[in-house]
Amino acid sequence: MTTLSLAAKSSAYSLAEGLREPAAASSIRRGAPDEWAREELLLRKLGPKGWGRVYQFRNYYEPGWGEKGRVLSPRALDAFFRFLEEATFAAGRTGPSVFLTDRGGIELCWEDPNGKSVQVEFTTTGAEFYKAATDEEGAVAFERLAPLARRLSG
Amino acid sequence: MPEDNVLIPANMNDGFPIQIPDRLPVHIDPCPIVQAIFETRFVSPQPWATMPGLLFAEIREEYPEQKTLPMAQLPEDLRRQDPTLLILPLIQFLSDNFLIQLGPRVVSLATKPNAYPGWSAIEQELKWLVDRLKAAGFVGETERLSSRYIDFFDGDIFTGLRLGLQIDDKPLRGTQTDVTTFLRRGALSIRLQVTNGAIVAAKDGPASGSVLDVDAWFASMDADLFGNGLVRFAEAHQAIKGLFFGLIKPELLSKLNPAYE
Repeated sequence: MTTLSLAAKSSAYSLAEGLREPAAASSIRRGAPDEWAREELLLRKLGPKGWGRVYQFRNYYEPGWGEKGRVLSPRALDAFFRFLEEATFAAGRTGPSVFLTDRGGIELCWEDPNGKSVQVEFTTTGAEFYKAATDEEGAVAFERLAPLARRLSG
Repeated sequence: MPEDNVLIPANMNDGFPIQIPDRLPVHIDPCPIVQAIFETRFVSPQPWATMPGLLFAEIREEYPEQKTLPMAQLPEDLRRQDPTLLILPLIQFLSDNFLIQLGPRVVSLATKPNAYPGWSAIEQELKWLVDRLKAAGFVGETERLSSRYIDFFDGDIFTGLRLGLQIDDKPLRGTQTDVTTFLRRGALSIRLQVTNGAIVAAKDGPASGSVLDVDAWFASMDADLFGNGLVRFAEAHQAIKGLFFGLIKPELLSKLNPAYE
């Protein structure tokens, strides 16, 4: 053995027999360390349905989808997660919904405490929003995501 | 576009669980680095089938040899069903000192096993590769940009680390142990894996011992391969270096014969 196998496991070493994966348990899904926090955030803020939709968007939409063959923008997805960290959605209303947009962004829609819709689309450059209660619309850069989340969802 | 500003706190010991020394060695011997990998995950408007050709046309003079990896034999539909398979490379290009690995959503520069050439050589090769990737034209938006270092040690590394597993407040010793944790340091995410039950391909054949594996990365909003990519690789490298010397105990450090500037 002269080289390390990076192909199969993306790791340069192998674990001794006793440390290998235990028998699979179908009821337990262990998140990767780098993804667990975000998956937990999705479940907490968007529920199982929202979690499932984002999982699908991230993993099954290859180039060729969307306008001009665009794929879901990683930057838009990153912005979406950072917005979610700061957002608080009113309990008792219809849960937030999440969509892919034709230009490769991701959109979050929910109802405010008065049942009026709020929409935020995350793009490669920032976020565009619309608040039906005040007929307000606008766009913000990435640096303004946190205050926008607190203002729209509070 | 992401800025080039430093996104790692100047005083990284604020809230970070590992105390980073003020002075870091510039050289250690023996060098425990098995391999270092500098990876970019990306999205592309190009289909996978065209990517290897586009890249090879740009790098063939320096990387004349190519090797298809076993993962490429799996049907694409199968690879798509598992997110961990999606970001694995399918082909390698080899030069005398480095490997370039390419997959539908990933490209990386890796050092040859057990032949770490030093950071300045890596930095130079990364700069060259980023220019070549830009010319190849298939890398779109950056999804994740990382540096990863894998170190190997004889014996049980947990005796030499300020990290370990305890049972009833007593360190667990003499048994196979595998620890993985996830840390944040400013915009940098760090996955730290330590095991004392590894078998590694060493220069003289397979050897058993311990592995310290640190992967540090920036997410999409903070990294752009063709913008601040080289700066981010360097920041991640420096963070891993600090973490390494913050983790090891003085007794282990002295065995590595550190040299300071």
